[in-house]
Amino acid sequence: MRTILKGSMLALGLTALAATTALAQEATFVMTARLVGAPTYNPIKATKLNTATTLIFDRLVVQDADQSFHGQLASSWETNPDGMQWTFKLKPGVKFHNGEPFNAKTVAWWVPQFKGSENAFTVEAIERVEVVDDLTVRFHMKHPDPNLLFNLASSFMCIPEPKSYEALGDKFGVTEAIGTGPYKMQQFSVGQQTVLVRNDDYAWAAGLSKNQGPAKFKKLTFREIGEESTAYLELKTGGADLLVNVPTDFLPRIQADKAVKLVTFPGNELVYMPINTSVEPFTDIKVREATAFAVNQKEILTSLYGGNGAAADTFLISSLKEAQVEPKFRIAYDSERAKKLFDEAGWKPSADGIRVKDGKRLAVKLWTQNGTEFKRLVEIVQAQLKAVGMQAEISIIDAGSINAQYRKKTEHQLAIRAYQWTNADIVDWFFAAKRAGYPNVSMFNDPEAERLNDIAMNKSKSWDERVANFTKYHEYVLSQYPFAPIYQPVQSLAYGKRIVMPETIRGMGLYSSTMLDIAPAN
Amino acid sequence: MLRFAIRRLAMLVPVFLAVSLVIFMIVHLVPGDPLEHLIQVGSSPEQQAQMIARYGLDQPLLVQYGRWLAKVVGGDLGDAIVMRQPVARLIAENLPHSLALGGAALIFSTTVGIVTGVLAASFRDSLFDRVVMGFILLGSTLPSFWLALLMILAFAVQFEWFPVSGARSWDALVLPALTIGIGGTALIARVTRAAMIEIAGRDFVRVLQAKGLSFWRIQLRHVLQQAMLPVMTILGLRIGWILGGAVTVEYVFARPGLGSLLITALGQRDYPLVQGCLLMLAIAVMLGTLLGDLAQAALDPRLRETMGAR
Repeated sequence: MRTILKGSMLALGLTALAATTALAQEATFVMTARLVGAPTYNPIKATKLNTATTLIFDRLVVQDADQSFHGQLASSWETNPDGMQWTFKLKPGVKFHNGEPFNAKTVAWWVPQFKGSENAFTVEAIERVEVVDDLTVRFHMKHPDPNLLFNLASSFMCIPEPKSYEALGDKFGVTEAIGTGPYKMQQFSVGQQTVLVRNDDYAWAAGLSKNQGPAKFKKLTFREIGEESTAYLELKTGGADLLVNVPTDFLPRIQADKAVKLVTFPGNELVYMPINTSVEPFTDIKVREATAFAVNQKEILTSLYGGNGAAADTFLISSLKEAQVEPKFRIAYDSERAKKLFDEAGWKPSADGIRVKDGKRLAVKLWTQNGTEFKRLVEIVQAQLKAVGMQAEISIIDAGSINAQYRKKTEHQLAIRAYQWTNADIVDWFFAAKRAGYPNVSMFNDPEAERLNDIAMNKSKSWDERVANFTKYHEYVLSQYPFAPIYQPVQSLAYGKRIVMPETIRGMGLYSSTMLDIAPAN
Repeated sequence: MLRFAIRRLAMLVPVFLAVSLVIFMIVHLVPGDPLEHLIQVGSSPEQQAQMIARYGLDQPLLVQYGRWLAKVVGGDLGDAIVMRQPVARLIAENLPHSLALGGAALIFSTTVGIVTGVLAASFRDSLFDRVVMGFILLGSTLPSFWLALLMILAFAVQFEWFPVSGARSWDALVLPALTIGIGGTALIARVTRAAMIEIAGRDFVRVLQAKGLSFWRIQLRHVLQQAMLPVMTILGLRIGWILGGAVTVEYVFARPGLGSLLITALGQRDYPLVQGCLLMLAIAVMLGTLLGDLAQAALDPRLRETMGAR
C-alpha cells in the first residue's frame, strides 16, 4: 500500500515538474498601444506591422542600433563604384516553414511584388533582378540608391514564401503567414493576439544573436492590449511575461516596482515642436529662432521623464550620422538669446510680461494630440514660452483628426508632436515643399532647402556621400528654425521573473536578433 | 399578433434608412481619414492621390453614400480599408464575444435588478430599501471605464480571483460582465420597485388579501407578473445599450468584441468598418426595442390595439 502511495506521489511530482517545464517554454508578450491593431502579417502590402513580424519572416539584412548592417538571409553583398549594381550572396540551406527552399529565384520573384503596393517606394530604384546562380542575386538599378540597405532591413522587406503567397492572395498574412523566421504563425486574430510556435529547423540567425539555432521558447503568445494600465497590471500579476514598448511616461511607476524588471535601450523616436513658417508671427525667422531657443529640453527631460532618454538638439535621432552637425546649428535652450531675438524682432515686453508689437500681443496657438504624455508636455512648453514673453493657447485635438487640421495649412502655429524613424530622409518627409500641410506641418518652402533636398535624395551615389549630403541639408534646415527639437525617448521593455534577458538588446528594437537570445528563467 | 409584429417590423425600414444616413455622414464629416494610417514615410504625393482614388474617397459624399447603401442592402458591408478584410467577417468574428458579454451582463442585471426591486418594494421605506437602492444607484453612476479599473484592481490584482484581461477562459468574462451589468441593475431595480408598489395599491390586490392569500404569494404570483410589463420594455432597450456600453469595457479588459473593433476602427478612421460596427449596434437597439414591444404586447393584448394593430 505504502509503495503504491509513494509511487503515485512520485508520478504526481513528475507530472507537475513536466507541466512546469512545459510552461516555462511558453511565454506571453504584450504589445501596448503603439503596436496594437496591425491588420496583417503580409509585409509587402502592410502599412503597419508589429514585433511578431520579424519572428515569422527574415530579411536579407538587419540593422544594429549603431546603424551598421548585418546579413540575415544574405551572407554578404557588394556594390559597384557607380552604385548601379548590387550583388547579394545568399545563405545556403535556408527553408521556408512549408519546406520550400529560399534561394535567388525567391528574391527575383519577391522584388516585383511591391509594384503598386503602399510600399512600392522601397524598391523603386531597382530596375530588374538577375539570378546569377542559385545563391547569388544581382539588383540592376535605375539610379543609385545608397539607401537600399536601409530599406532592405525594414520589416516591410521581410520575405514571404512565394507559392503560399500567391495561393492565399489577400488572406496571406491573415489566415496563414509563411516565412523563414524562427517562429511559425499558428493563430492570429486582429487586434487580439498572435500565437507563434518554434521553427525547430532554424539555423540562419543574423550575426547579431548569440544563439544561432532555434529559439529558446517553444511557444510565444503576443497579446495586444491598448489600455496601458491593463497591460501593466497583466505583467504585475504574472498574466504576461514581457511588455514590448513601455510608454515613457509609465517608466517611473515600473522602475518603482520591485516585481518587474526594466531594460532600456536607445530609442528611435523624437519629440519636437513644429513651427508654422507660413503664418504670423513665425514668418519672421528671428521669432522662430527665439521660440526654438525658449524650449528648455533638459528641464523637460528631468521633470517629465525622470531623466530617461535624452534631450534633443537637432531634428534627427542622435544615433544617425547625419545628426552630427556643427555645434552652431544645434538648438539647445538659451533664454537670453531668445529674449534678445524677440527684442530685435520688435516684440517688446509689456506690463503683464507678454510681448507686444504694433499693439498686438504675442499670443499663439499651441496644438497637440490627446494622450497623457502630450498633455503634460504641452503644459510645460506653455510655461517655458511664457517665461520669455509668449502666450500660448493650448488646443488638444483627437489623434485621428489632427493631421486633417494640419492640412488646412494656416490654422496652426505651434504644435507638439513625435515621430519614429531611423533614417535621415525624414528631413525630406517633413520639409520638402511638395508635402506642405501634412507631413510638412511647418509649411516649410525654401529654394535653398529644395536644392539641397534634391542633392541628398537623388544625387548621392554611395552611403557616405548620402550621409554628407543629408548632413548639409539637415544643417541648412536647422538654421531656418522650422522645428524646435525637444526630447528623445528611450525604448524600453518591462519583464517578469520567468524571463532572462540578454545583456544587450541588438538591433533597432525588440526584433528577432534579441528575441532568439531571450531565455526562460530555469 | 402576427400582423402586429409585421407592422412593427415594417416601421423599422425608414428608421434603418435614416440611421444609415446619419451614421455615414457623422463618420465622414469627422476630420481625418483612413489614409493617415496607410501613408508610408517616403511615399510620394502622387502615390497618395492614387490611394484616395482606389478607395473611392475622391467621390462626392452622396455618391459614396449611395454606393455604400446599395451594397449594404445587398448584404455586403464592404471591405475594411485599413484592416483589409471583409467587414462582415470581422463583425462575425467579434460579435459572438460581445453577445456572450452582453448576455452575461443582461442576466446579471436582470436577476439582481428584479430580486432587489421586489425586495425593496416588499420592504418599502425600510433600511434595506434605502441602503440597497442607494448602493445600486451609486454603482450605476460610476463611469464604466473607471469601474472597470476598480474591478481589476480589487478582484484581479488584490484578491487574484479573476484574470486581469483577455477572453481565454470563462472566468475572464466575470469582471467585464459585472462592470456592464451594474449599470443596468439600478434601472431594472427601480422600475421593478416602482411598478410593484403601484400595482400593490390596486383593488384586485385587496381582493386577494381579503381571500386570505399570503403576502409573498400575492407579491410573487400576482403583483410581479404585472410589474414585468414595464420591465420588459426596459430590457428590450437595454440589449442595445449593453452592446454600446461594452465599447469601453471591452477595451479596458482587452477583450475581443464589437466594442474593441469599433474603437480600433474609429482610431484608424476605417470608414467601412466604423459604419459596419455602428450599423450593427443600431440594429441591435432597434431589434431590442422591437423584442421589448413584442414581449409586452404578448403579455398584454390591450397594447396591441393602442400600438396600432387594429
